[in-house]
Amino acid sequence: MKKGWLKKGALVVGVLMAIFFSLVPFLLFVSSAFKTQTQVTAIPPQLWPSFDIDFFRSAIVRYDILGYLVNSIVVAGSTTLVTILLGTLAGYALARLPRPWAHFSLMLILACAMFPQIAIVGPVWQLLRWLGWLNTYQGLVLPYVALTLPLTVWILALFFREMPEELEAAALVDGCSRIEALVKVIVPLSAPGLFTAAILTFIYAWNEFFLALLIVTDPARQTMPVGIALFQGEHTVPWGEIAAASLITTAPLVVLVLLFQQRIVTGLSAGAIKG
Amino acid sequence: MNWRPLTKTIRLFILLAIVFLSVPSRASEPQTIVFLMWKPNQPEVRERLIERFHETHPNIRVQVQIGPHSSTEFHAIVTQRLKNKDTSVDVFLMDVIWPAEFASAGWAVDLTSRFSKKAQKAFLPATIAANTYHGRIYGVPYFLDAGLFYYRKDLLDKYSFDPPKSWHDMLAQGKAILKGEADPTLHIFSAQFKQYEGLVCDMLEFIWSHGGRIIDQRTGKVLVAEPPSIQAVTFVRDQIIGKAAPQGVINYEEPESLEVFLQGKAVFHRNWPYAWTVANDPERSKVAGRVGVGTLPAFPGHRPAAALGGWQFGISRWSEHVEEAWEFVEFMTSFDSQEILAIQAGLAPTRVAVYKDPVVQDKMPHLKDFLPAFKSARPRPVSPLYPMISQELQRFFSRAIAESKTDVQNLAQATSARIRRVVQMEAAVRR
Amino acid sequence: MIPKDRKLYLALLAPTLLVLLVFIVAPITQSIISSFHRIIIGLPQLNSPFIGLENYQELFHDSVARHSFWVTLLFVSTTTFFELLLGLLLALLIHHRFPGRGSLRACVLIPWAIPTVVSAQMWRFLFNDAYGMINYAIFGHGVAHYIPWLAKPGTALFAIILADIWKTSSFAALLILAGLQIIPEELYQAAKVDGASMWRRFWHVTWPLIRPAILVALLFRTIDAFRVFDLAFVMTQGGPADATNVLQLYGYKKMFVEGWMGYGSTISVSVFVIVLVLAVVYVRMVGRRLLEASL
Repeated sequence: MKKGWLKKGALVVGVLMAIFFSLVPFLLFVSSAFKTQTQVTAIPPQLWPSFDIDFFRSAIVRYDILGYLVNSIVVAGSTTLVTILLGTLAGYALARLPRPWAHFSLMLILACAMFPQIAIVGPVWQLLRWLGWLNTYQGLVLPYVALTLPLTVWILALFFREMPEELEAAALVDGCSRIEALVKVIVPLSAPGLFTAAILTFIYAWNEFFLALLIVTDPARQTMPVGIALFQGEHTVPWGEIAAASLITTAPLVVLVLLFQQRIVTGLSAGAIKG
Repeated sequence: MNWRPLTKTIRLFILLAIVFLSVPSRASEPQTIVFLMWKPNQPEVRERLIERFHETHPNIRVQVQIGPHSSTEFHAIVTQRLKNKDTSVDVFLMDVIWPAEFASAGWAVDLTSRFSKKAQKAFLPATIAANTYHGRIYGVPYFLDAGLFYYRKDLLDKYSFDPPKSWHDMLAQGKAILKGEADPTLHIFSAQFKQYEGLVCDMLEFIWSHGGRIIDQRTGKVLVAEPPSIQAVTFVRDQIIGKAAPQGVINYEEPESLEVFLQGKAVFHRNWPYAWTVANDPERSKVAGRVGVGTLPAFPGHRPAAALGGWQFGISRWSEHVEEAWEFVEFMTSFDSQEILAIQAGLAPTRVAVYKDPVVQDKMPHLKDFLPAFKSARPRPVSPLYPMISQELQRFFSRAIAESKTDVQNLAQATSARIRRVVQMEAAVRR
Repeated sequence: MIPKDRKLYLALLAPTLLVLLVFIVAPITQSIISSFHRIIIGLPQLNSPFIGLENYQELFHDSVARHSFWVTLLFVSTTTFFELLLGLLLALLIHHRFPGRGSLRACVLIPWAIPTVVSAQMWRFLFNDAYGMINYAIFGHGVAHYIPWLAKPGTALFAIILADIWKTSSFAALLILAGLQIIPEELYQAAKVDGASMWRRFWHVTWPLIRPAILVALLFRTIDAFRVFDLAFVMTQGGPADATNVLQLYGYKKMFVEGWMGYGSTISVSVFVIVLVLAVVYVRMVGRRLLEASL
């Protein structure tokens, strides 16, 4: 009996600590979104906001948050779709290729992920200019795909390897083609891996700042991180609006993550994978 | 083997590619010029000005593109396009320390033929000097910035002090006021000492007002390790950081340092002219209406010096509409435009006449107070490699003042050596 | 069993390889070539001469670069260690079946979901020495005791490390969680039946099976940590006194601020080599056996 209590207690403490650690800094920051201008930078700090929504209005009207939001959704969404598509194909290939080839390719792909981004930016910018793709969606999406493919391919390759070849063999016997076997049998069973890779890719593309800053200078196409960074005027840091914008930016991601989580869980309960 | 599913995949991929490629790219219309600038504090004023330009110049359309506010980041964006011979930018803004670099690299159009010496005389001399490289002019001054000295008029009046003329006076007055006010959260001074370009400006103001210099522009000799400079730096380390000013100033840029003053927690403050409007805005400042402004103090026996800032218009060498670009630049730097910008956006004009304009004097009486400070403004070392020199200075200053027992002499000499290398690099190329 | 269809595998790999070639390999090559030339933006008259290994020699003697390297190393080792530890704990916690764990997972992902530049601004706000919440939390109204976190070389680096741990622990948690969820429930049941305690179940069932996931997390976290940029850029710009001047920030300053493209590329190539060596070491020591064992 005592053991049960201890375990439950530890669980509760653990959960509370996890929530505190994750949420409190962010909450402290976004509470500024609900304060008045002088409350935001009061010395000593004021904990409780006055529930003023001026900053939200200002963020939407003066700073065009919603425009940036749309651009971020388009860019991050497209990146995720393309990366998952290409990554699934490549990951499968690497999972089934003979070991030496697979290892070599995986290391090569990993090597691509290791180069500092700042060095890639210059030549990529020149290429995009040559293609006329500066200030376009595809000008951001393709470099992002290149940057997120390595991790995706690795994750998916590892997951696909867990799948015994008997599964595909059975599907082939049933008359499927190799691709159909991949899509109808392997992919659904690897749902956790796929959704993990998808979430990581999406969040990476959503967060990316440096490339976006240099490649897109047209406000109509700028993404959230760049938009928020540009909130700063000549010499002011509009904490209130930044806090409001942070709240507006994070909300869609949280919704997305909640949705994805259901799929991961159901994918799991769809049956044992090994044995 | 069955290729059908594979070709389906390939077709899907091609379809996606087509979808992306068919997103229309911006086609350029005739006589459109692109103006690259950072996000202003009051965009409506500039928008109205541009509308006016459209009305008076119906054959030209100006398209504004916004870059980051920070000078360093904006520099990265502008240079990225210019060094790649990008034709999509026509007019851009240059920080006061860039014209030499842009001129040497051949990115800014030489405006000497369009911007006559007579026309140049209408502008403040220091601003023209900053835009000149080897006798030719490469930019038109847009607005001026110079280090100003802000103070709490109400506190000085309460203790019957006149605004201090020397740094030591400031410290003495500050100590007296702090004692009298008995507020543990009140500081004497607040300014910008983070490791960034602003640090160079603030430190140069101390060094110059102590008779020190960084580089002798004529001989190219590096003077940063000479006694006057060392003493000024040591003064800042020992008397200002953590003493007159809170230790946190080592991480302050303009906004944070200004916040301290706005919250009423500093008696004296060093900042650019924009701070005047903010400090007197009751929505943002707790000390609105109780602020005075003037020239920075100096060390005994020396004249005060303010770091020259501000932005200029430049025209891209690769622009395909240089004539139209010039017309736009002329318009934006005309007397009328500067008058509007002064009154509505609080930007300090670069044309001397605007300061004498009765309308401006009426609506912005403090601009008259700024003029002596502006006249004492000095440009930072003029060199196409200034960014390198600046990085070395930032490193030196930050290391010297970040802790209380630093070997300023040694650091200065090491920095001197590194700056000498940079100067030699530039000289070697000119030969 | 299934046909070893080489041609099919190549076709599946082709699009990925193409994208990587165009957007990564080609730029990297250009960067490496630049590192062997003297390219200074402000002095185009130089005409970018080939100078062989001169940039690398200069880098070797550059005390600022050496300092940057140690700062980066300290950052990488501290953040990776804590992020994997916290990630593991978080993953184990979330993996437990209890009501509302979906919301917990969402909570935990929020730090990762916030754009880095925003979270950097947030921490800059929280660590502020006058109106920052962290000072308030520790010292309350005792304003005179407030610590200027970002103004002292020691605490500035600590602040950046904390900001990174906050943001990235959930990345590690997510990866490890995915690994955890593949472990079949039956193995645990069997172990319970055999009378194994919670610790023994963890050590003999969980730990061996999540090592691949931990390896992936470790690998990618180390690689990313070596390339940290956004946090240092927004929070401290590398100061005070270069205390947070991580390698990529130093390279950025050389390339984009000073216009010294050749030297900046040299720094990038060096970071690349360091990370490459690390990755090879990891995979050699731990990875290969795991990659093979997982089949």
